[in-house]
Amino acid sequence: MELVQVKNLRKSYADYQRDPFVAVESLSFSAKAGEVFGLLGPNGAGKTTALRILATVLQPTSGQAFISNFDVVSQAEMVRCSIGFVSNNTAIYERMTAWEMVEFFGRLYCVPISRLRERMESLFVQLKMTDFRDCPGARMSTGMKQKVSIARALIHDPPVLIFDEPTLGLDVLATRALHQIIIDLRDQGKCILFSTHIMREVERLCDRVAIMNRGQVLDSGSLPELSDRHKTSDFEELFYQLIMASEQSRSKAATRGIWFEDLGVPGVAPMNTAGGM
Amino acid sequence: MFTICVLPLLLYPLTGLMMLQLAQVKTPQRIFISVVGDSEWFQDSGARESIRSPDTANQQPSILWTHHASDSPLAIEIDRKLGTHSSDSESIQGEQRNRLIEDLLLRSQADAILVLRGQHIEGNQEPVSADSENAKAGNTPLLVLSNQRLERSRTAVMQLQSLIHKWHHHYVRQHLEKKQIAQDLWQPPPIEHSDIAPVEVKQAVVWSRILPLILLVWALTGAFYPAIDLCAGEKERGTLETLLSSPATRKEIVWGKLLTITCFSVMTAVLNLISMVVTTGFVFRKAMDGTSDNPLSGFGPISLDLILWLMVLVIPMSAMFSALALAVASLARSSKEGQYYLMPLILVGFPLVMLPVMPGITLSSGTSIVPVTGAVLLSRAFMDGEYGTALMYLPSVACVTILCCLLATRWAVRQFENESVLFSDVDKGSMKGWVVRFWMHRTEYPTATESVLCGLSILVALFFGRLAMASQELNWGTFATSTIVIQIGLMLGPALIMAVMLTRSVPRSLRLTVPRFSELLACGLLAVYLHPTYVQFAAFISHEYPLGPETTQSLHQIDAILGSVPLWSVLLVLAVLPALCEEVVFRGFVFAGLLENKGVLRAVIGSAVLFGLSHGVLQQTVCATATGLLLGWLAYRTAGIACTCLFHVIHNSISMTLATSSSRSIEIPTWMNWALSKTESGVAYTDAWNTVSLILAVTLFAALALQSGKRSILPSNSLSEEIAGPVAPDIVIGTS
Repeated sequence: MELVQVKNLRKSYADYQRDPFVAVESLSFSAKAGEVFGLLGPNGAGKTTALRILATVLQPTSGQAFISNFDVVSQAEMVRCSIGFVSNNTAIYERMTAWEMVEFFGRLYCVPISRLRERMESLFVQLKMTDFRDCPGARMSTGMKQKVSIARALIHDPPVLIFDEPTLGLDVLATRALHQIIIDLRDQGKCILFSTHIMREVERLCDRVAIMNRGQVLDSGSLPELSDRHKTSDFEELFYQLIMASEQSRSKAATRGIWFEDLGVPGVAPMNTAGGM
Repeated sequence: MFTICVLPLLLYPLTGLMMLQLAQVKTPQRIFISVVGDSEWFQDSGARESIRSPDTANQQPSILWTHHASDSPLAIEIDRKLGTHSSDSESIQGEQRNRLIEDLLLRSQADAILVLRGQHIEGNQEPVSADSENAKAGNTPLLVLSNQRLERSRTAVMQLQSLIHKWHHHYVRQHLEKKQIAQDLWQPPPIEHSDIAPVEVKQAVVWSRILPLILLVWALTGAFYPAIDLCAGEKERGTLETLLSSPATRKEIVWGKLLTITCFSVMTAVLNLISMVVTTGFVFRKAMDGTSDNPLSGFGPISLDLILWLMVLVIPMSAMFSALALAVASLARSSKEGQYYLMPLILVGFPLVMLPVMPGITLSSGTSIVPVTGAVLLSRAFMDGEYGTALMYLPSVACVTILCCLLATRWAVRQFENESVLFSDVDKGSMKGWVVRFWMHRTEYPTATESVLCGLSILVALFFGRLAMASQELNWGTFATSTIVIQIGLMLGPALIMAVMLTRSVPRSLRLTVPRFSELLACGLLAVYLHPTYVQFAAFISHEYPLGPETTQSLHQIDAILGSVPLWSVLLVLAVLPALCEEVVFRGFVFAGLLENKGVLRAVIGSAVLFGLSHGVLQQTVCATATGLLLGWLAYRTAGIACTCLFHVIHNSISMTLATSSSRSIEIPTWMNWALSKTESGVAYTDAWNTVSLILAVTLFAALALQSGKRSILPSNSLSEEIAGPVAPDIVIGTS
């Protein structure tokens, strides 16, 4: 059952301080229950923007996206109840304890009080958080904070989980623990969207991936499929080659754009492209 | 960059402009004073003349005097019961005396009563001689009866004191010099105050002036810092993103934050108040021990009912400030940037908080609808025990406060729905980047930011321009020159420069389109038909927001100058030129920019407010804003500025003709007698024409609305062009 469907998603920004730019272009993919779908790309590839759109925090410029068959634009409230969103900055309130923070979000998601306590107890045991349940956010380590964030995202037991570069800033132990949590969640039948720029995480966790650069998907599929297509088992090399090829073709297009513009023909020409005529 | 370079340049002139506008509302309050007794002093002493002298007339509120001669029943009663002569045995004291004074003030319908007891400066007699008996008579105290619980009574006593002082220092001294009498021999009569307001009430009056000011500053400060933490702080911590992905709607999030901030604001204000009550109670008890002649005698411990009314004031004010602080703080990308926004917010709120403290400002239908000011004056009326007045204006103050709260909250919600506000990165723009962006990526129409900047720059330029030209000698030559310089150099100039520099098409960014003849005709007629209503509206505004005597006097001077020059030159310089320049700026450049993203309401209201503020006199500002709303609507419906130019020219021309009609010999044709009549102040509209013209205007208005509705009136959206691609083909072809 496909819990996430993304069709031709596009997001562009018109900022008065800089050129209008396209953050996500023609993004399409789908993910089903019990699957980890990875969005892989370098910094600025548009991963966070795409996930923010799916989390209903941003609105798409065009295209459609459905979570549990709810439209992210017109049925945003239903979508929010169906997802758990973990961002890369371990967002927690510094004055709240781990317990208070999770309880606060449980109430925000309207989890019945009787069920909330039971759910919290089980989550705190499952995520090994009982040791620091009364520790305020300001005194927690990054790993602890990330665990609290995950507990907060799981409190209403959503079918879809969105992890936006969750291992950023975590040490090896915490990263391993987080990976295990994600694998457990997948085994429980959750559909997981996971963004990262680290190949090893993809190899370890993802069933399928989409490799992105500058808002566009360069290639997608399961890891064996990608390996066959690009004739290499070294995924890091594969990733590097795809990104470099994309950058080179973009650079050529930009040079052509400048030439056309010099002739008075309108075209897309970035201001800062080096090597003009 | 905006907060460091642009804000300081714009902020202070704009605050100055606002202060100047508000300072014009110094209401000339009419005071009623009864003079009882010796008529010679009143008639001959110069007390009456001193009020009329030019220097006093400009500063003092006008006083209405009633005189009760020594043999009048009121004078006899006062003389008998209040013991104006020390020998009088029937005089009453204590509570009974207070009741009598209250009754006397009520009966004589006066704010204060001045009782004269033999103070002579008779025209043909020497005022005093070395004779000790006469000197003693000269020093019999003047008795002033008042109820200083009331604002009017306090003003009346202040006026009386000032007049008596003036009388002594100017009139009596001149008189003694003329008679060649040594001035040392004359001692001014002391003033004996009989004020029925208890000491606690008088002390409360002092506190009621100071405390709202302190409380509001604390309420604003108390709201601002939590607002920064709840907006910029959440952005920094990343918790905002988490919150936005939860089932809570943006509106719910804003309301939740608003409640929290309001609680903090109220708590800050209340804690400060409690601390002040305790401290003042302790300090004044210590300070008053054994000393009656103390500099702190005007103050006293803060009473409980005063605290109660302050609490009533602080809750709506905190709510309003919190909503405002929340909206402003949501613009900040970091807590550090948020700190920069506090000072502008305080400076904007400052004139509104200071206005009620100015002497002569009381609760009226005009002041009650000014945000913050109205609420402060209302709470002061409650504190002073003027419950009748307070209850009368309670609905209007409550409506304005609630409306402001809702508007500020709506603004905050919109900020929370705006992705660029919520997720914009820290300012990375460099000056070079800005220049390149402005020049290479000019759009067809100005952006909303550019048009607002244009409007604000013009306001700042006008502020300094008017200040520089204020010192010039007032005659037609200088007046016409300064008007031309202001209109062309300070208004049209900046708008044209910005249109050329920032946009690709000057005609489009100034909305220069060819109008339909029918629309032109309709707008021209509408200007004529609506003018009588405008005159009535302007009269209402000047009644509600009376201008200070200085402003009125300078306006009269200008009218007199205009009356002495040919009408065509007045119309050319003061009607046609300003109309065209203002239309190009406000319905042209500013309007086109504010229309970005189909913001029709924003364009109409924004251009009207900026247009209103460009008028230096408060009364004109209010009227011009109202007219600006209509002109904005017309500019929108007719898709250009040609029709509004015509409307504006006709409107200004009629106004100038009528304003200068008193000093011209304008003959009204007999067939116009039913519409126009001659009065003392010039030509005026008749009641019949007022009614007929309004009906015609409404009909025309409806016809215009229906007809123009068929046209495509929105320009293509500049934002969507930006999104479509960095350089759209039609924009490149149209490069100027």
